[in-house]
Amino acid sequence: QSVTKWRMQALWGGGTTPMLYEEKFCARVAELTGGSLEITPFAGGQIVPSAQAFDAVRGGAFELMKTFDGYTAGKIPAHGFSSTVPFGFPEPDQYEAWFYERGGLEMARESYAPAGLTYVAPTVYGQEPIHSRVPVRKIADLKGLKGRFVGLASAVMADFGVSVSPLPTSEVYSALDKGLIDIADRGDIKANFEEGLHEVAKYLILPGVHQPTTATSYVANTRAFDALDAQQKAALAVAAREISGTLRQNILVANGEYIKKFQDAGVEIIDFDPEDVAQARAKAVEAWKKAATDDISKRMMESQIALMQELRLL
Amino acid sequence: MITLSRRITALNRGLFAFAKWLIYAIVLLMLWEVLSRYVLSSPTSWAPELATLIFGPFFLLGGPYLLHLGGHVAVDVASAKATGRLAVGLKLVGLVLAAVFGAILLWFSVPLVMQSFSYGETSYSAWNPIIWPAKAFLPLSAVLLMLQALAEAIDVLFEPEAV
Amino acid sequence: MESSFVLLFMFTSLIVFMLSGAGLAFVLGAIAFISTILLWGPSALIVAVLNTFETMTSESLMAIPLYVLMASILQKSAIIDALYDAMETWSARLNGGLAVGTIIICTILAAMTGVVGAAVAAMGILALPSMLSRGYHPPLALGAICAGGTLGILIPPSVVTIVYAITAQISIGQMFAAGIVPGLILAGSYIAYILIRTWINPALAPKPEQVDDLPLGVKLAKLKSLILPAFVVLGVLGSIYTGIATPTEAAAVGVLGAAMSAMVTRRLSFTMLSGAATETLRVTAMILWITIGARAFISVFVATGGADSILGFVESFEASRWIILGVMVLVLIFLGLFLDEIGIILLCVPVFLPIITTLDFDPLWFGVLFMITAQMAYITPPFGYTLFYLKGVLPDGIGIGQVYRGVIPFFLIQVGVLILFAVFPDLVTWLPEALSQVGK
Ligand code: NA
Ligand code: NA
Repeated sequence: QSVTKWRMQALWGGGTTPMLYEEKFCARVAELTGGSLEITPFAGGQIVPSAQAFDAVRGGAFELMKTFDGYTAGKIPAHGFSSTVPFGFPEPDQYEAWFYERGGLEMARESYAPAGLTYVAPTVYGQEPIHSRVPVRKIADLKGLKGRFVGLASAVMADFGVSVSPLPTSEVYSALDKGLIDIADRGDIKANFEEGLHEVAKYLILPGVHQPTTATSYVANTRAFDALDAQQKAALAVAAREISGTLRQNILVANGEYIKKFQDAGVEIIDFDPEDVAQARAKAVEAWKKAATDDISKRMMESQIALMQELRLL
Repeated sequence: MITLSRRITALNRGLFAFAKWLIYAIVLLMLWEVLSRYVLSSPTSWAPELATLIFGPFFLLGGPYLLHLGGHVAVDVASAKATGRLAVGLKLVGLVLAAVFGAILLWFSVPLVMQSFSYGETSYSAWNPIIWPAKAFLPLSAVLLMLQALAEAIDVLFEPEAV
Repeated sequence: MESSFVLLFMFTSLIVFMLSGAGLAFVLGAIAFISTILLWGPSALIVAVLNTFETMTSESLMAIPLYVLMASILQKSAIIDALYDAMETWSARLNGGLAVGTIIICTILAAMTGVVGAAVAAMGILALPSMLSRGYHPPLALGAICAGGTLGILIPPSVVTIVYAITAQISIGQMFAAGIVPGLILAGSYIAYILIRTWINPALAPKPEQVDDLPLGVKLAKLKSLILPAFVVLGVLGSIYTGIATPTEAAAVGVLGAAMSAMVTRRLSFTMLSGAATETLRVTAMILWITIGARAFISVFVATGGADSILGFVESFEASRWIILGVMVLVLIFLGLFLDEIGIILLCVPVFLPIITTLDFDPLWFGVLFMITAQMAYITPPFGYTLFYLKGVLPDGIGIGQVYRGVIPFFLIQVGVLILFAVFPDLVTWLPEALSQVGK
């Protein structure tokens, strides 16, 4: 039996928790295929910068990537809705349900297909927090603050009165430290504690409405994917769905553990009122509509809104 | 042949002379951002991003003429001792490498720029500009680098005493 | 076995082509391309272009032209000459006064930026002509600039430190704090070396004549030359530390300050600004075209398993923790001969850090050792960035050979300081621990 060898460019930094899960993913695929599909994972930036992986897989330098669709939302508007939606689904299970139960997966595949790429499956997990130097107790308090947000969230936060600066991730710590900005998003709760944000921002705001849930995705080069046999394809799908659940649960537990660490470091945790968030969501829909500029993105947005209405989120 | 080489060099000299002023545009954009964020308390969404979009064209356009100036870093401890045909040969090796470098950058960047253009790719930031014009400077500079390598090769082969 | 062949092939061809005298950017790029086609497949060549797109929009690399422009304007407005003149007057009794001053200015620059290319290129433009025109021994002057220029890696703020901290999952603030004392010790060691060396052999750094005759009033008047540079430095540091600007934006503030200083000295003119822009583009294009080639080289090296074979070697080593640490440091120094430090971090830290924690070493402390090896990498031939940056601004008649000779003693000092910190970890961990105590 011949062994198929793949390279996978992931978006996470080497040694980080999510990167460990990518290594588990590769090990699991090898196990499920009896060793017939060997995937070597590379950490973000090790070979190509994370945001450029789309073209590297398209061009055939890698067979697979673990990416964040938001990187390509400037090319493919649908990717704004298959990555993270500001004020979108508050629970990762709801977002994952949209993928598997309400056609999200099929629409994501449709969005990648013309590029010669095959969307395999998402990894869905929960909120990223907002860090602030000043107390922000309700959405209305955001008005007049200087903040750092990226992607669609920057437009939505601007709608709520935040002056948004597009600072690079590496500048967040010092920008908060020096008071260049008042509030910022960065990564998940654990990663931000390890970055030391508790040293520079005394308030941590939950839920992270700018990024309540996130989907990263396994995307393969279509030619390479089509050359796999049925067992190998199934193994990718199974391993991906496993990782989605296990990483999400790992983050869930880590969030609790690290919120405690933030508190011990003297950071005040502020919880937004769910009613306040729900009202703001109705306003955020306006920004979603502006971002949905083609057929697939409109269908994605509408099916998400429909599910949110059924779940009484809107 | 010599005319061709002079024209290429003149073109790249002109582009270098244009590109060098872009650094002042970057300075002004950054100062404007500092001013609007600190003094006016309303950071722009566009100034820092526009500065990074100018940065690529700035240094890329400098590369081809730098080849003429001999300003690209090279380890010349051994090659400086070479004379006659060996020296000409070594010079040509360097120029061929530069041309190969340019050719591969060109070959692989053109489809990416076309793709960016046809997608109408934007940066997906709060400002959200289209970004293919900035990307297009990579294939452009690659062509200019190849042309300059050709011009230098002409000079080495046809006017060796001038080198 | 295949991957160690990759390693051998890539580095042998790197050395051979480099010795042909071809541009380093093109040598790195061409070897990357050939290796990609042979070992990975032609379609993977796209990786080089994708990395270039990223380089083209890098906010932190943009600091390079800005700091070079600032230095160039200061130089052309005679401010630095005046500064060196004053330094000479006041340090006349001091052996090697200008070289000592160069290290001090480098330390100040290091606190303004972590971009080594910017510091070295700037000092090459500012300090080198001043020292040479006063008859300084070229290798001493060149070595001081190369070594001083790398201080920015250790002394915060520093891009390399940030990349290490993120990759190693250590707090950036802690990592910054950890760099301060070692950075100052290193700077102090360079100064001590210069003082001792020029005391033994005063001919290396001729003292100006007649200085003693100058009346105190003239000496004091020369202090005025400190005002403008101090104004610029305060503008840059002040805008960073008061939260007015990011480090890159602060460089633009520095350019503004330099231009205003030039106005004061009545040197501000269109011709001058044009000349400064020319110099800036020359230096920037040189550094960034090499960056394009180097990123391509590192990508192939990692993707084809060359990196794994080095790291596998360390992991397979069964010995005492200190020997393993020593081997890891040697691997870092070896890689530093050829690769840039960000590439080395992305390559090694994810593999080395689990080993470090298993061996019960402190990742923060290892980070400082790492930064020092990164500084060594910057000044060691054949692939030392500072040597190349400096070469871009060398005057006629001074060859790269003199630079090579000049860095040797400073390299040995770095080795000594590295061993010092390895033996006395408290020197490194004391300040961050004290600061975190204050925080509680
Ligand atoms: Na620094
Ligand atoms: Na080196």
